[in-house]
Amino acid sequence: MSLSLFLLFGFVGILLLGLGWALWEPRERRKLQTDPRSLDEDGERHVTYLPQIRQALSPMDFDFLLKSASRELQRRVRLERLGVALAYLSAVRADFHRLLRTARVIAVLSPEVAAVHELERLRLTAKFAWQYKMIRWKLLAGFAPVPQLDGLSNLVSGLSVRMEAAMKELGERAAAAAKLASSVNRRGLDVV
Amino acid sequence: MIGGIAQFQLMMWAASTAAGVFVLVLLAVRKNYRAYPAFTFYIFVNLAQAILLFSMFRRWGYLSRASWLFGWGTQAVTVCARALAVAEICRHVLSRYTGIWALAQRLLLLCAGLVLLYSGLAARHQWQLAFPSADRGLELSIAAVIVLLFLFARYYGVRAERTDRSLAIGLCLYSCFRALNDTILERYLYGYDTLWTILGMLAFFASLVLWSWALRKPRTEIAAEENLLPLGVYQSITPQINLRLRLLNDQLCQIWKPEVTRH
Repeated sequence: MSLSLFLLFGFVGILLLGLGWALWEPRERRKLQTDPRSLDEDGERHVTYLPQIRQALSPMDFDFLLKSASRELQRRVRLERLGVALAYLSAVRADFHRLLRTARVIAVLSPEVAAVHELERLRLTAKFAWQYKMIRWKLLAGFAPVPQLDGLSNLVSGLSVRMEAAMKELGERAAAAAKLASSVNRRGLDVV
Repeated sequence: MIGGIAQFQLMMWAASTAAGVFVLVLLAVRKNYRAYPAFTFYIFVNLAQAILLFSMFRRWGYLSRASWLFGWGTQAVTVCARALAVAEICRHVLSRYTGIWALAQRLLLLCAGLVLLYSGLAARHQWQLAFPSADRGLELSIAAVIVLLFLFARYYGVRAERTDRSLAIGLCLYSCFRALNDTILERYLYGYDTLWTILGMLAFFASLVLWSWALRKPRTEIAAEENLLPLGVYQSITPQINLRLRLLNDQLCQIWKPEVTRH
């Protein structure tokens, strides 16, 4: 089989795999996700548990344990801290996906989108997915120092607050626009 | 044998033509031709091609040069009709969302162009293989456009209507099959001719069965356009979200490479 024939069969194989993946729908995705109300459904963010997570990841606690606790206890604490770190990483990913979903819904419902912003978001999504997997493996393999995750908390808590403000602003603007459109329609004018 | 065509080929031909007529009848009876004028035209062109080819083969023989040229000439029209049907399905899936539809149009056209270019470069440059090579390029473009359309729809969480999905799957699978079949024909032109025709007919018959199933009910009407947000919302919120996504990425990067951040 020549190289060009091999490449062509490979290309068709990739197309078929791509088609299968694009058409496959997990159960939770089976409703139209372009409804802006869907953004408010899961309002509780992992930032609610931020103080507990900070406490769990505090290096001071672990230093104290190193001096006073048995090896068995140290091992157990290390495992528990790893569990917390992994759960926290998942929560960061959930926040990332929530932001992404917001951006997608806005793009879908916008009369105009900029290719630059859309492509940048695609790039950021791919980068995040790659880094997330790498850090997860690194943590599981014991190569990542757990307390460093603490830096993320500040960022995510800030993000959540600012996102809430942005969403509120978005809702107000949409409501104002709808009000304006309905008042214009009542006067028999065409909105261009 | 009629005009050098084997009995099995004739049977397949008859079955495909009957299935094509059935799809056309379904399109008319369920009034789906209103929603799918280009797809109806494609099925009509296919039937017309089958009838014309049959009479050509009876008159000049299956392996004559005139039949070969005529066969590929009509195939060009059929592939163009299929491309129009695919464009129609793309419009059905995304045109309600004007912003992403404008972006998708550019991406889909770019994708089709790149695949055509690749096919042209990868083809064997012999004049007698020009038709199979061009056909393969167009088939690959059609398949790639359909796959990209569904990837795009998945990315933005847009659900395609059931009939659109089934029609697109049939078109994509048939195009993939034809691309592979054309490639094998290009390599083993003389020994593969009869098998090429039979396999092509079988693939088309399978697509017709899928389309018949998809068109058994009238297409559900969907609102022509979604209630869109004011233009300024995207322009003000999207850069902010992208900035936050970038910040989140930067933080992950710092965990991934902690030595970079140490002072």
